[in-house]
Amino acid sequence: MVRLLLNGTPVDAPEGATLLQALRAHGLNVPTLCHDARMQPASACRLCEVEVDGQERPLCACATPVAEGMSVHTHGEALEGYRKGLIEMLARRYPGEIPALDPDHPFHRLLLHYQVPATGPWVPSKLDESHPYLRLDMNRCVDCYRCVHICEEVQGHSIWKVVGRGAEAHVEPGDAGRLLDSPCVSCGACADTCPTGAIQDWARYRHGTPITWTRSVCSYCGTGCELEIGSTSDRLVDIRPAQDAPVNRGHLCVKGRFGLGFNDAEDRVTSPMVRRGGEWEAVTWDEALDEAAALLLRVKEAHGPTAIGVLGSSRGTNEEAFLTQKLARVGLGTGNVDCCARVCHAPSAAGLGLALGTGAATNSFADIDLAALVMVVGANPTENHPIVGLRIKHRALKGMPLIVIDPRRTELAELATVHLRPRPGTNIPLFQALAHVIVNEGLYDHPFVAARTEGFEAYLASLQEWAPERAAATCGVDADDIRKAARLYATTGPAYMCNGLGVTEQVQGSDGILALVHLALLTGNLGKPGSGVNPLRGQNNVQGCAQMGCEPKRLTGYQPYDQVIAKHEALWGPLPPPGLDLLEMLDAAGEGRLRAMLVFGYDLYLTTANAHRTAAALAQLEGMVVVDLFMTETAKAFGTVFLPAASTFEKEGTFMNGERRVQRVRAAIAPRGQSRSDLDILLELAKRLGVGDQFQYHSPEDVWNEVRKLWTAVAGVAYHRLEHPGGLQWPCPDELHPGTSILHAKTFPVGDRAQFRPIAFHPSAEVVDEAFPFLLNTGRSLQHFNAGTMTVRTENTKLTRDDVLELNPADAAALGVLDDEEVTVESHHGAFQAHAHLTDRVRPGEPFGIFHSAKAFVNRAMGPGRDPKTHTPEFKRTAVRIRKMVQA
Amino acid sequence: MAIRTKHDPQSYTFAGFGSEKYPNLMLRGAGDLNNWTLDVYEQKHEGYVAMKQALKMEPVAVTEEVKTSGIRGRGGAGFPAGLKWSFMPKDTPERKITRYLVINGDEGEPGTFKDRAILEYNPHQLIEGCIIASYAMQANTCYVYIRGEFLWLIEKLELAIEQARAKGYLGKNILGSGFDLDIIVHRGAGAYICGEETALLNSLEGRRGEPRVKPPFPAAKGAFGQPTTINNVETIAAVPPIIRMGGAEYAKLGTTKNSGTRIFCISGHVKRPGLYELPLGLPLDFILNELAGGSSTGKKIKAVIPGGASAPVFSEAEFSTPMDFDSVRNAGSMAGSGGVIVLDEDTCMVQACLRLIRFYAHESCGQCTPCREGCNWMEMILHRIEHGEGTLEDLDVLASLTPRIAGRTLCALGDAACGPMESMLKKFRHEFEHHVTHKTCYVKGHELLAKVGAH
Ligand SMILES: Cc1cc2nc3c(=O)[nH]c(=O)nc-3n(C[C@H](O)[C@H](O)[C@H](O)COP(=O)(O)O)c2cc1C
Ligand code: SF4
Ligand code: SF4
Ligand code: SF4
Ligand code: FES
Repeated sequence: MVRLLLNGTPVDAPEGATLLQALRAHGLNVPTLCHDARMQPASACRLCEVEVDGQERPLCACATPVAEGMSVHTHGEALEGYRKGLIEMLARRYPGEIPALDPDHPFHRLLLHYQVPATGPWVPSKLDESHPYLRLDMNRCVDCYRCVHICEEVQGHSIWKVVGRGAEAHVEPGDAGRLLDSPCVSCGACADTCPTGAIQDWARYRHGTPITWTRSVCSYCGTGCELEIGSTSDRLVDIRPAQDAPVNRGHLCVKGRFGLGFNDAEDRVTSPMVRRGGEWEAVTWDEALDEAAALLLRVKEAHGPTAIGVLGSSRGTNEEAFLTQKLARVGLGTGNVDCCARVCHAPSAAGLGLALGTGAATNSFADIDLAALVMVVGANPTENHPIVGLRIKHRALKGMPLIVIDPRRTELAELATVHLRPRPGTNIPLFQALAHVIVNEGLYDHPFVAARTEGFEAYLASLQEWAPERAAATCGVDADDIRKAARLYATTGPAYMCNGLGVTEQVQGSDGILALVHLALLTGNLGKPGSGVNPLRGQNNVQGCAQMGCEPKRLTGYQPYDQVIAKHEALWGPLPPPGLDLLEMLDAAGEGRLRAMLVFGYDLYLTTANAHRTAAALAQLEGMVVVDLFMTETAKAFGTVFLPAASTFEKEGTFMNGERRVQRVRAAIAPRGQSRSDLDILLELAKRLGVGDQFQYHSPEDVWNEVRKLWTAVAGVAYHRLEHPGGLQWPCPDELHPGTSILHAKTFPVGDRAQFRPIAFHPSAEVVDEAFPFLLNTGRSLQHFNAGTMTVRTENTKLTRDDVLELNPADAAALGVLDDEEVTVESHHGAFQAHAHLTDRVRPGEPFGIFHSAKAFVNRAMGPGRDPKTHTPEFKRTAVRIRKMVQA
Repeated sequence: MAIRTKHDPQSYTFAGFGSEKYPNLMLRGAGDLNNWTLDVYEQKHEGYVAMKQALKMEPVAVTEEVKTSGIRGRGGAGFPAGLKWSFMPKDTPERKITRYLVINGDEGEPGTFKDRAILEYNPHQLIEGCIIASYAMQANTCYVYIRGEFLWLIEKLELAIEQARAKGYLGKNILGSGFDLDIIVHRGAGAYICGEETALLNSLEGRRGEPRVKPPFPAAKGAFGQPTTINNVETIAAVPPIIRMGGAEYAKLGTTKNSGTRIFCISGHVKRPGLYELPLGLPLDFILNELAGGSSTGKKIKAVIPGGASAPVFSEAEFSTPMDFDSVRNAGSMAGSGGVIVLDEDTCMVQACLRLIRFYAHESCGQCTPCREGCNWMEMILHRIEHGEGTLEDLDVLASLTPRIAGRTLCALGDAACGPMESMLKKFRHEFEHHVTHKTCYVKGHELLAKVGAH
């Protein structure tokens, strides 16, 4: 701490703080125009100048560090006159009519405060209205260059450029002319920071300044960014990043920032419906709920509780997921309860759980800043987890070594020190070869291996078959690159590893995770800052949903039956045995053993591989109750009762992000039409299933408090403790515990030692041949999200297509396919159509299908392959052929 | 190579130049277009003697020698060079540091043309200076940033560098000393602001040439984020003579705290414009009248800009000022880059002022509000006055603008613009007033009409 005098009053300020920070902390409001706390000081607008005793000239508060004994004067007459003079300089060229139209922008408030009239002209040529989310009126630009700096420093892009000099200097979106035609990723940061509205959200331009701001958590990916939701009495207007959020630090991606249009989409279903005579009919809530309960009770009666399957929603809150599994187990007596983690990170949870004892990320996103190296495996975070991706990108741009393992040349791969491009489905040989090099060159962490692991000898023996040369041949990777990556990872510690679905959605998904855990164990990259194995979870609450017990073989907290069944039964009464997972449920449905399903917010038909088999199985059900916002492909084809759900903007509760962080979700507006939260619906169903007395909750907090009783790791996570930014990371066993950002510091939940296990490689059944010469990989894009349910109902569709097949130009040439031409992709299992996007991001022979579109329906072509341990389907490797569509 | 074959007409010498009184340290052979080669430099001008001497010294001892010489930077700010070098962080057992030396050859200051002569006639003296300075600071890469218009000089310097490399004066293990150095020449792209040292660094890195916020200063975080020293071409070219004669001997030239010789660039209304290498501290009127031959028009000299366009103008009262950093500062101006611009009685100060302000308004990088908006505002007002459309209020606004700009911008360009503006308005206010009230030019008497286009 240093002591300084602010206008004569002694105050303390932390060392290294800027004068501006100190002034603001003590309520002294010095005007600023070029300053934004998210960026380096620019020292350019000079409004923040203050007088410091002993200094010949005034100093910029934003760029001056505090020093012991400094005596600062902030609002003397001369300074205020000077500030007014600066505003006058800007007002000369500022359009006169604008400030009154839009008085809330900071610059307009300054004009008013200093009583300076704007006297410049407004010309139509400076307007750019092409972008769906951002309206540009460069008449309003005061050349503060905040947009330039935030785009570069925070978003890691350089879209805005200063062009010209002197009074002609101005900003332009690159060379493109229009922002829409630039490589802008629509993160909205420039609009966020612009002090005049020269760049502003269309929503804000159209609907005015929001009246209320509600802090909540993003409903897209598992990063868990905190938002401020701006609303008027009954309208969502705008979303802004929470400035003090530890996860996203005042930044968002296009989905979180702008993807709110789905909430008021025209086709949102807001009244309960029942299918009668094949047609959907709107009914009252009572009718619909009665019908749903009747279906479930009838099937239970006739075929037993195991004939019912329940799917929780990864979009819902923890509280809702918890009640979903409780309803399944207590209300229906079935252990058949699962969620969409099955088709994404179930292998991560299983692999980490098996090896270390906790099926969740070992470290936190903050560790990226502490790492000496980052290794990204089968993940494309700059598109799918943009805020995490950015952190990695910023480090890499500053020179941190980066290893990327991915068949595609992703944005991070372009920055990588080593980029290994294995053929889809050959992870195991590659990971084992990395370990082979580390062990055989003696680069492993001997003390760590000796003190904290066991099974090394057997593991060592199992590695020997994968010398780099042999793995190189199998994986299509250069052996020297394998050595280079292995040496780099082993010798540049601490090393942070994160993985995505490129590892898990394989027939060797769980083994892939195990192999990665082994690499971390070998190199001592566990239990310390900047290290770990960290799955990047897909949906906002997929971690939470599985963790809450929507898992057929686990109970609350992803805890094994044998360890916690007694605790559960003491509270809930006798429980059914473990049940079927999603894939097993589909098998059972196909065989007539499963007869009814209750599905919360999950388009399983569209998103499960091998769609034809899914359809055949679901068609045999007696009925299916769907709780959702939209008539999903599943509901359309198989639903018999539809219960309209409230969106995340319309309800209360908590989400859990991919780093075990529990954060509060808050309602910004009332549920649309007759929609109700899943939680309400669950309570109503419980009543009708005759277990109402077991479901006596008055609030989401009540529900959460029951979770705390059943799972000690969150016992300390009380709602009132979640009021501060970032909530709490579990384990947090009591209310004084600060939460845990790094797991396994001294021991593992499995014991003092983690076990190495030999891994055998079982290749995929999908092989290319003359008839099916391409290996199809699938995944996501930046602008869209998973099944597309939300994003295809937003203006994101104006930014990019949702049905895209990335195709190498050489393949395209051989096929005679042009860019943006529609093609048919056909496998042994089915076919889909998509628009070809020619790019050398993918290698010849390895096209990549973007799966967001219900129209394209990529999963029709996916096969039956599954990870034997978790049954996660093989989305990442299918042998296909590609045909031009016949021209009409 | 586009080496010039035509002799340029300006003067590089005067009676007595090269004598003990007026030693020729910087312009040896200037005017002779064959002077630039390594052979000539070694055979005729004691070339690379200082380098060989320096490489046998401890690096810190070299810096000490430069400190002792007292030489102050010739680029504009007049900062002691030896002191600047000593700010460069040294290696520690834990950390080996990459350091850079960057030579500022942007020479953008109006009225300044000395670095150009060094590059034209004595490029090896600069190269030798670079080697010695880099050795003193233990920098292994030296960038020379040269004004884009000097294309032929860039090519010439590159040839000279090749000659030096061929002789083993550059590259790995120079003359067995264990010291490695490469010199990389970088061409500017025509922006005055890129002469400002941190804008220069941005430009060198391939970014937009705009000044950076200081601190961090270049010695802490300069080119590519590494500790960097930036020196003017003339400053570095003075290093070989300093080492050859010894710092103490050099310090005897000039006056205390203002030692050595520097190259004055004299232009405007004098009989013999050109480059004059002189010991610091000679009176301005002596230089103009005795050496440069006095007024070329027969009219009285009315005003002199003593240190490049950015320096506040001198009127007759200050003509006896000794031309060294401190005396010029005490007289209310700055010695700056050594550009001396002489204006006779027939020069309209309003017009001169407009010309200068237009330059600064155009060359402002546009980052800071006061500089971008203020210079533009001044230019617009001056334009009005020059065209007979000014008011007396305009003069007050002009006077009120300079304190809003000077000292309140990120880099010194704001100050630079205010130097001429403030001093001209103060010292020649009657000319401005006359323009406003009479709508005629005070000096030439003609009418000021926008449609005639004036002057
Ligand atoms: C607007 C502006 C333009 C400048 N242009 C030049 C220039 O063209 N050449 C130069 O050597 N220094 C120039 N300088 C000064 C440099 O910033 C720097 O002080 C100088 O290169 C340091 O070298 P020295 O210490 O050897 O003088 C300029 C400064 C400003 C503010
Ligand atoms: S567009 Fe906005 S943020 Fe960008 S320079 Fe102009 S006023 Fe500043
Ligand atoms: S929206 Fe984001 S990426 Fe696009 S220009 Fe603005 S800051 Fe840059
Ligand atoms: S003073 Fe002028 S030239 Fe210097 S940084 Fe500011 S705007 Fe740019
Ligand atoms: S806020 Fe400090 S200079 Fe703009």
